[in-house]
Order: sequence, then C-alpha cells, then structure tokens
Amino acid sequence: MSITLQDVTKRYGDQIPVDRVSLEVQAGELFVLLGASGSGKSTILRMIAGLVDPDGGTIKIGERDVTHLPPQARDIGLVFQNYSIFRHMTVAQNIEFGLRIRGVKSAERRKRRDELLDLVGLTGLGGRFESQLSGGQRQRVALARALAYRPGVLLLDEPFGALDVKIRVQLRQSLKEIQKTLGVTTVLVTHDQEEAFELGARIAVIDRGRLLEVGPPKRLYESPRSLFVATFLGAGSVLVGRARGHNVELGPLTLPIPMDVPHEEGDRVRVLIRPEHVVLSEERKPNAPTLGQGEVIEDTFTGASRRIRVRLPPLAGGVRQVVPPLHFGEEGVRLDVAVHAHADPPPRKPWVSLEEWHILRQPTPRLLVCDEGEGLASALEFAALLLPALNGVATVLGVAEDARKQDLLRDALASRAASAGMKDASVRVRRGETTEQILVEQRDAPYDFVVAGAGEVESLRRGRRRAPQLAEELALSTTIPLLAVRGRPRRFERILICTAIGEPGKSDVRAGGWLARRMGAAATLLHVSRPGRATPFAVEHLERGVSTLRELGVAGTSAIREDEEAVAGILAFLREVPHDLVVVGAPPAGSRPLRSEPATTRVLRECGISILVVPEGSW
Amino acid sequence: MNATVAVVPPKRRAAVPAGLVVLFLLPLILMPLAAVFAFALRGGPRAFWGALSSPEALFALRFSLMIAFATAVINGVLGTFTAYVLSRYRFRGQRVLGIIVNLPVAIPTVVVGTSLLLLWGPIGLLGRFLGPLGMQPMFAPAGVLLAHLFVTFPYMLGAVKPVLDELEETYEEAAYTIGATTLQTFRYVILPTLKGGLFAGALLTFAHSLGEFGATVMVSGNLRMKTQTAPLYIFAQFEAGNIETANAVAAVLALLSFLIFFVLLRYTGRRTDD
Repeated sequence: MSITLQDVTKRYGDQIPVDRVSLEVQAGELFVLLGASGSGKSTILRMIAGLVDPDGGTIKIGERDVTHLPPQARDIGLVFQNYSIFRHMTVAQNIEFGLRIRGVKSAERRKRRDELLDLVGLTGLGGRFESQLSGGQRQRVALARALAYRPGVLLLDEPFGALDVKIRVQLRQSLKEIQKTLGVTTVLVTHDQEEAFELGARIAVIDRGRLLEVGPPKRLYESPRSLFVATFLGAGSVLVGRARGHNVELGPLTLPIPMDVPHEEGDRVRVLIRPEHVVLSEERKPNAPTLGQGEVIEDTFTGASRRIRVRLPPLAGGVRQVVPPLHFGEEGVRLDVAVHAHADPPPRKPWVSLEEWHILRQPTPRLLVCDEGEGLASALEFAALLLPALNGVATVLGVAEDARKQDLLRDALASRAASAGMKDASVRVRRGETTEQILVEQRDAPYDFVVAGAGEVESLRRGRRRAPQLAEELALSTTIPLLAVRGRPRRFERILICTAIGEPGKSDVRAGGWLARRMGAAATLLHVSRPGRATPFAVEHLERGVSTLRELGVAGTSAIREDEEAVAGILAFLREVPHDLVVVGAPPAGSRPLRSEPATTRVLRECGISILVVPEGSW
Repeated sequence: MNATVAVVPPKRRAAVPAGLVVLFLLPLILMPLAAVFAFALRGGPRAFWGALSSPEALFALRFSLMIAFATAVINGVLGTFTAYVLSRYRFRGQRVLGIIVNLPVAIPTVVVGTSLLLLWGPIGLLGRFLGPLGMQPMFAPAGVLLAHLFVTFPYMLGAVKPVLDELEETYEEAAYTIGATTLQTFRYVILPTLKGGLFAGALLTFAHSLGEFGATVMVSGNLRMKTQTAPLYIFAQFEAGNIETANAVAAVLALLSFLIFFVLLRYTGRRTDD
C-alpha cells in the first residue's frame, strides 16, 4: 500500500520538528528516512503511525486519508527502537497479540505464529520470555509481532540502533529478505548512512524538520543537490568557485555547469569532490583536469582503504573551501583522497587531478521577513515583490510577548502574508524580546536577507523623524544583510551603494550588486571624501567596486562627492540624484560603537527610502 | 595495633553495634509484642478461645476484615486510576494534585475523623442535607469505610505509580499500533505489568485499614455490633478492665499483620531477586 504525505507539519510551541514535508512511498517499496538525531525523522514516522497528530497537511495510506485516524485504524505495524516487547507474555503470545485482539481463532493463530517464527528465524523459541532473548532476537520478535496481522504498511524506528555492529549487519540482510518476500510497504528511520544505503530503495534526507532530497542511494551520493546532503552522505570536499558563462572557474580548472543548475554570472558555485575521485600522481597528467601540485599532510590506514590528505596552495580566483572547514589561519585547499590499502605510497609532492566532480544546486535565496501582525505590512509587501525576482523563499517571523499571544499572532501573520501575496511563506512565531529573537532566528537557520519595515515617509513629513526602533536595533546587531523597506512597494531600479561607510571590505558591493543583478537594477557606487581629499586609494577602490559589479552583470557607475561629513554627503547626493535603495556597510556585528550615533542608523533614519545594511563579512 | 585490627573478622566487629540495636529494640518493640501474646494466653487456651468467640469480638474482627477488604478493593481501583493519570498525562496543577493525593500520610488520623464528621456529620456541611433524606453516613459502616479510604489512599498510589513511571509509553503505543483499543491495552498490557505493584499496594492498604484507630474512633461512634472495628473493641475492652479479652483480639490482629507482612516481604524480596 502506498503512503502519501502532503505538507505535513508538526509544531511544539516555538519548535517546528516537522516543516511541510511531502513525500510518496510506493507500494511494496523499502523507503528510508535518514537524518541526524533531532532532525524530525522519527516524528514523521510517528505521524504516519498515528501516534503523533499533525498540525497541518494530510497523510494517506493507499487511497485512504488517515491524517486524523487513531493508530488502531491505520493498518500498520510498527517496530520501536526499544522493541517494547510485552514482558509478561511469551514470544508466542507477543506475536499472537494482534491476532488475539482481532478475534482470530486459536488454531489459526498458532499456525500464523509458527509461520512468523520461521520467517524471522526464531523457530522453537515461542515459549521464551523477553528476558531470555538476545538483543537481535528481541528485534526479530518485535518484527514478527508487527507483521502478524499482515499490515499494509511496516514502520521501523531505528530498529538496529541498540545492536552490536556485527548483528546489525546480519539483521539488515534478513530484514531486506523478509521485506522482499512479503512485499510489504516499509518505511525505516535511521541516522546511519550505511544502513540507509544498504536497505533503502529510495532515501529521504531530513534536516531540521525539512525534507531536503529524495532519491535512490546512488543518485543522492553521486549528484546531491544541496550541501547538506552532499556532506551528510559520505566524505568529500566542497570548493566554491565563480560562474563564468556556463562554466565554473575553480583555480586553473574550468568545469562546465550542467544545464539543470540555474546560475547567474558571477554566482558562487559549489563543487563537490569525493575522495575516490581524486587522483594523485608523481608527474603531471597531461590530459586530466589538474588542480595543481600539492603536499601530502596525512596518510591514514582505515582497513580496506587508506585516506590521504593533501594540501594545495591557494587557487586563483578566490576559490574557497567550505567543507571540510579549514583551520583558523589555514590557507589553500585541503582534499581527502581514498586509495586502496595496498596501493603504493603517494609521492610527497603529488599532482592532484580529478576523475569526477559534482556541481551542487545553487542554494535558494531565503528571506526572513519580520512582521508585527498589525499596522503597516510594508516588509511583507516588499518581500512579496522581491521573491519572484530572487527566485527565493520566505519565512515570516513574528515575536510574541507570551505564549497566550503566540497563536493569535501566528494566525495574524499567516493571513497578512497571504493578503500581501505570499501564501507559500512559512510562518514562525518566537517568544521573547523582538530584536533578540530575530537574531536567534538568524543564527538558527540559514537566511540571506532579513527584511523589516523602516518607517514611512509620511510619518517623516509629519516631523516624526524616527524609524521604528526595531529597524535601528537590527541595523546595529544583524549578522546578515538587513533590508529596511519603506514607501510604496516597488522593484528597485536604481541602487546607490555607499562605500564611504564601514570598513573597506566588499560585502556591501557584493550584496548590493547581487540584489541589483536579480532586480535588473542599475547601481551607483558612491564615495564621499573631504573637499580636496579624494585619495588615489578611493579612486582605485571605486574602480574595483565597479569591476565587481560588472562581473556580477550589473551596469555600474561611480561617483565621488566632496563633503565635510560622510552621512551629509550621502543624503545630499540622494537629493540630487534620486535612487530607490541605498546600500551601506556596517562594521561586523559586535564591534559596532554604541556611544556615538553610528553613521548606519543615521542614514537609515534620514534617507527616506529603503536601505540595505550589509554587515562586513556577511556576503 | 594496626595488624590486630586487620585480622579481626568484620563479623565480630559488628557484634557490639548490632547488640546495641537489639538492646534498645527490646523495650521498644520486641517486648511489647511478646507481652500481647503472653497476656493473651495467660488464662490458658480455653479462656483465649472464650474471649475470641464472644459475639462482640467475632463481629469486631469480621467487620474489620470486611472494611479492610472493601478499602483495598476500592482504593485499588481509585489509586491505580490516579496513578495512571498522574503518570501518563501532563496538565496544569499536576504537581499540586500529586501532593494532595499523598496528603493523608501527613494528616493525623484524628483530624481526618474530625474533618469527615464536619462534612458528613448530622450538622456537617453536607450531612445536614442528608439527614432529612434518611441517610446518615457517620456512626455507620459507610462512615468507617470513608475514613479508611481517606487514610489509606496514598498506599496504593505509592505502590503502583513507580511501576507505571518506569513503564515506557512505547509499550502502550505498541499495543495501539497492533490494533488494541485503550481498554484492551490497559487490560492486556498495563494491568499485567502492574500486577506486582497492585498486589503490594492492596496488602499495604489492607494492613493499614485493619489497624486504623484514630479516624475510626471519631466517625464510628464506637457502636458495638454495629460499627466497632477490632482495634476499637480492644480499646473498649481494655478500658472496661477486660485485659485478657482485649489481648486475645490484639493477638489475632498482630498475627494477621505478621502474616501480611511476611507475604509482602517474600513477594517483594522475590521481585528484587529477579
């Protein structure tokens, strides 16, 4: 019998252990839910079993909607991690329990019980009690008990978790055979990648309540779409290069980007390199894609194979390594290489070439949209407008004072998001102090931008020249770019990037340029300097900025304005040349001065248009 | 000196402290118990039988046993249900409820009796409405039962709840997924697991009910052949100067208690051996 989950969600207060999971298990399939502990995989299984009631979505077993049916009515068998064998019953009584409940005659019960004992390899042990069984035998009893009444669906929650490695391998094999013999639709939950690979016809990878990818083991291993799946399944390194045309530049290598990976010029593209696809050689191989000459820094014997770790000098074009993370201060690229245990020892300074590689999907841009559930909805309206252009997804976040207001706020946010045109956005409500909770949310989940209202132009005219405190507080503490919006929602067409504020980094130019590229906007790079003090450094800095913009495919011009004071210069420039978004940098979160009024908040308060505050190092 | 200490077997070193314990237990516990039997049998077996076979004595013993049995059964059901609710559900005020149900252990039994009288008695808060209806729980067997239920309530709970707390919820969930209803799950999965706790709790409740005095004396009115339990009979006979009669019944009570105690001891002992 097939199992279909559609947008299944579970909430516990602030936590969303399962977030809109949709999947389909085919009839007769052995399907594996794989994830780290706490990822929500067991909750999904328990919802299929009816032991946990979902807060949203539907669950179907076969054609029957079982979303809110009790477990008794679902026609399932469940094997628990602790097996939960009834201690006061013999093995036989345990197995017969489901039949006894169903009023099956005793002769028939005995026959079925003996069949099952044979099936799981426990013939003759029917008279024993749980305390007289080994761990592996207990698991078999639990399996037989769950199968006794021929359920349409078999669910297994970490069934091998409590067993020795050796027994585990045996039992996996026998489970696989039993499943094949009976052809019963099976869902197995595990955190063990090896187990998932061995058993699963298809695997679903779950992370933080979300379903990341579904597919056969080979597909997931060889061509994962996301970074999490790439690194959760198997070893390897992930390097980040830049997209140039239809290729990604990875130091000396130019690797074609597959058609199914949409990308923009200048995007950062992630390349997964598995250890078994790296080749070390004494001499440079003439026709192989070669990264360069490296140095062996580690050589570890692991049994059947050997793991060699090589370090390459920094690759051209600012190639970064994201997995495995480099040590602090470490430069270059570190690759793991898997070779046969009896292979010759590698040369000390080997040439490193690649047999294969895999280019990961571009991560979907994610917006964190802050809304209060009342008043102006400018953040929501702007976000709704930006999302299609960014091809991104949004989470609407509200912060409630206490538990009582939480549910009310959630409903308000959902209906406001829907009426702003974002019905696909997920809604999240946290509890506590607003700014603090937004920062916690930034830390807990990967977002690219946080969007908040910056106060309306009208209110400025009335002389209340104060942006909402929230935007100001966020501007000083955010760790990701803050888009503080005001005015009528519209696409940004002219973006002013101020390089005068903040450290001489490039995050502001990159983030602003990225947004400009996706909005199809033109960008102006502005530098404000004291009269007569425009240094060659400033000019060079601007030129570099314009070329960065060009790489991103954005038409950029530069301007230098002379003024005694940077903020005044920016505001004066804006009055003369209208723009609809101003981009300013901010010192890295935590190092911002609190005593003097920071330039960032002054621009935020006084510019009268939307503003993007980019913390240094955030982009 | 050190060498001497080292060769002294530990058993011999225990002789002095163990002897001390026995020494102070003698006047505190052992001798009074012995006195009961000594006095009971002083007049010979014939007198002992004579004292026991008086209709009042027989009634008191029978009444006590019946009340104790009823208390054990009723509190067996109520206590198990309470334990289940406290162990399986999470709700507001759970902690407070957990304290309240154990309160009877701490309240002096005389106070329990008084409070029952103040509620159900002829001029009590509820009792005054019952009188005109021809019902009067106080100074009647029902009152005695009420008092005993109150006083012994925590014992069942104390025996059953730890077992339930230890029983993981997955056992019930397993039964549900297999197809058992809540009732079937209770009948076939939970109840058998609780068997030991239920048995121990029931025996404890029974034993405490058998010996209950403070609350009983208040609510029963100590009416012979009507509400007089064995402990009350002993007290009444003692006051009347019939020391041997009192002692005969006391000896029977003591014997019954020993019996229950040893059964409990053997039972729990066997369970810990597992």
